[in-house]
Amino acid sequence: MEKGLSGIDAVKKIVETEGQARRIVDDAKTRAQQMISKAYQEADMLRQEATSSAQKQREEILRDARENAESEARQSDVETQQLLANYRKLAEARKDDAANKAVELVLTA
Amino acid sequence: MSESLDKLQNRILSDAKLKADEIVRDAGAKADQVLSEARQKAQKEADETTAKAKLEAEAIRRSILSSKVRANRLKILEEKNRIVQEVVLTVENRLAGIAGSSQFDEAAQRFITEAVNAVDSDQPVIRLGFKDAAKKDLDGVSKMVPKGAKLVFEQDPIDGLGGVVASDPEGRVIFSNSFRSRLERFDSKLLTLISATIFGE
Repeated sequence: MEKGLSGIDAVKKIVETEGQARRIVDDAKTRAQQMISKAYQEADMLRQEATSSAQKQREEILRDARENAESEARQSDVETQQLLANYRKLAEARKDDAANKAVELVLTA
Repeated sequence: MSESLDKLQNRILSDAKLKADEIVRDAGAKADQVLSEARQKAQKEADETTAKAKLEAEAIRRSILSSKVRANRLKILEEKNRIVQEVVLTVENRLAGIAGSSQFDEAAQRFITEAVNAVDSDQPVIRLGFKDAAKKDLDGVSKMVPKGAKLVFEQDPIDGLGGVVASDPEGRVIFSNSFRSRLERFDSKLLTLISATIFGE
C-alpha cells in the first residue's frame, strides 16, 4: 500500500512519527514531574507527621517526668513527716536525760 | 523505500519509548531518594526532639525534687533546732533555780575558784548573784572564798540566770562565770551533747 508513497508523503510520515515520539517523551516527562512532585508532597507530609509525633512524644515525656517528680516529692513529704514525728517522740522520751547531761556539763566542765 | 520508512518510524518510536522509560525510571529513582531522605531527616529530627525532651525532663525532675528536698531538709533542721532550743531553755531554767539544790555549794565553789584563778589577783572582787538564793545558801559559799577577796552578793541573778563574776580591784580584768557565759562558752559542746542524746547523732 505504501509502495507508491511520494517523497513528500514519506517526509510527512516521518514528521508525524517524530511528533508522536515527542508526545511519548513529553508524556513521560509530565509523568516524571508528577511522580517527583508527589514524592515531595509525601515527603513533606511524612516530615509533618514525624514532627507532630515527636512533639507528642516530647509532651508525654515531660508530663511523665513532671508527674513522677511530683509523686517522688509527695513521697519525700510523707517521709519527712514520719521523720519529724519520730524526732518528736525521741525528744519526748530523751529530753530530760539531755537536759540533765547539759546541766552537768555547764556545772562541771 | 517503504520498508526502510517503516523501520525508521519504528526506530523513532522505539527510541522515544526507551527515552520515556528512562525518564520515568529516573523520576521513580528520584522520588524514592526524596522519600528516603525525608524519612531519614524526619527520623533524625524526631530523635533530636526526643533526646532534647529527655534532657528537659531531667531538668524538670531535678527542679521539682531539689526544691522539695531542700524544703524538707530545712523542715527537719528547724524541728531539730526547735527541740534542742527547748532543751536549752529547760537547762537555763534548771540552772536559774539551782540555788536551792544540793549541787549548789559545789558548783558555786568551782565557779568562784575558776573565776578567781582567771583574774589572778591577790584582792579579787567576787560578785555572786543567784535567783532565790537564801542567805544560808550564800553563807556556805562565803566561807570558801580565798583570803583577801571581797565578796559581793547581788540581789538579782547575774546575767539573768545567776552565777559568779570575778575581777581585780580596779575592774580591769573581769572574768564572768555566770551561767549565761558558761552556756555561751560551751555552746558547741552543749548542742552536740543534746543532739547526740536525743537524736543519737
